[in-house]
Amino acid sequence: MNWLITTLSSTVGRKFVMGLTGLFLCFFLVVHLAGNLLLYVGPEAYDHYAHTLHEQKGFLVVAEVLLFGAFIVHILLAIKLSRGNYAARQISYAKASSKKESRLVANVVAPEAWMFWSGAVVLGFLILHLGDFKFELWWGTSLQAIDSPYDKAGVILRNSLRLFVYTLGSIVLGVHVSHGLASAFQSLGVNHPKYTPCIHWCSIAFGWIVGIGFASFPVIWSLTESAAAP
Amino acid sequence: MISPAHHNLSLTLKIWRQPHADAPGEFRTYQLQDVSPHMSFLEMLDILNEQLIEKGEEPVAFDHDCREGICGMCGMMINGQAHGPDHETTTCQLHMRRFEDGDTIVIEPWRSRAFPVIRDLAVDRSAFDRIIQAGGYVSVKTGQAIDGNANLIPQQDQESSMDAAACIGCGACVAACKNASAMLFTSAKVSHLVQLPQGAPERKKRVLSMISQHDEEGFGACTNTYECEAACPAAISVSHIARLNREYMKAMLTSKE
Repeated sequence: MNWLITTLSSTVGRKFVMGLTGLFLCFFLVVHLAGNLLLYVGPEAYDHYAHTLHEQKGFLVVAEVLLFGAFIVHILLAIKLSRGNYAARQISYAKASSKKESRLVANVVAPEAWMFWSGAVVLGFLILHLGDFKFELWWGTSLQAIDSPYDKAGVILRNSLRLFVYTLGSIVLGVHVSHGLASAFQSLGVNHPKYTPCIHWCSIAFGWIVGIGFASFPVIWSLTESAAAP
Repeated sequence: MISPAHHNLSLTLKIWRQPHADAPGEFRTYQLQDVSPHMSFLEMLDILNEQLIEKGEEPVAFDHDCREGICGMCGMMINGQAHGPDHETTTCQLHMRRFEDGDTIVIEPWRSRAFPVIRDLAVDRSAFDRIIQAGGYVSVKTGQAIDGNANLIPQQDQESSMDAAACIGCGACVAACKNASAMLFTSAKVSHLVQLPQGAPERKKRVLSMISQHDEEGFGACTNTYECEAACPAAISVSHIARLNREYMKAMLTSKE
């Protein structure tokens, strides 16, 4: 097992595992977004999806263990790597300027410059989100009284704090994965003149889809608040 | 951006001065008049140093050797960019026509825990030597020169290997990386040798030892921002880092050690 510890202690090994867990979490985002988009189809479709999913007890246990495992490994390695990276510079430059020509945005606001902090914001959003939908914390008995998952989602999404946190969290998540997806391929050693440009642009598109896709739910539900209120 | 001015330049230089590794450093400002646009950046610093010596002050220490862009000795952060604003150019090949009359130029040493400042702009890059010593070589029996055609190497493999071998070890990749990672340097050395039949027998041991040494020296991890590639005067591609990642994981999973 020595080799495994060595791998997880090395910069390259850690980035490899970051890439693997990151790709898995991106795959989860696709499935999650696809499921959530059923909210736009209607209460029947969404409720049917939610009930069918919750009936698959065995699958849910395996999926949740894998997901939580991937999240924890991804977060712990992010902390380890970021601490090492910060220490490696030691003294920061009085003046720093990028030499990359393809830069569309200034270096200081580029997604790759803030991966740790965007990840931290996403983690905060995630804790609130799991507390809302999975554990139904902070809601007292008000959610338990509602049968339909569609109606539950409606109540949560129309909360003004959720509108702010969910919208911000979704956009930051989009920014995070817009670099993360392409970066994962590079960390796993996938770099090819034929495919890398496509992976780069797909990663940016994925970021936009994730950001707009997930942020759309709290925004749209808040806008339709008065119309949909009983 | 080439200055149309044929007349000489007046510059304000903000230069990092530090007597030795343990002493605190600071920026000092110098005014330099009458700088020819045809001078190289290092020649401009030579002129400054002559003036400092005449005034009885300590000249600015900086590394340099061939001044032809091939030795890898020179290198400094010029206005926040490793080797200055030009691409695929070392500091010695940067010319003063790249600047405007009246410009302020901020000059700093490479900043990295693994590259301690020796004095002013000169840093100790022996960490690179130790990475090479860890595995950046090919073990061969010495003796009679082998037959020229004993090892046939496809031309495209030679070319790809030579692209990596173009690394001059200047340290700009470390300087430009936000994590002070030496992954572009290490990957260039690994990629250079692994693509040749002579390098194949030691490929696993090499990559494991070199990464282990890279980490021990205190360089950061690669977060794929690719600033290194943009700053590299030898145009080393980040595709070599991907190859390094593949080689490392293959070696880790299949090595008997």
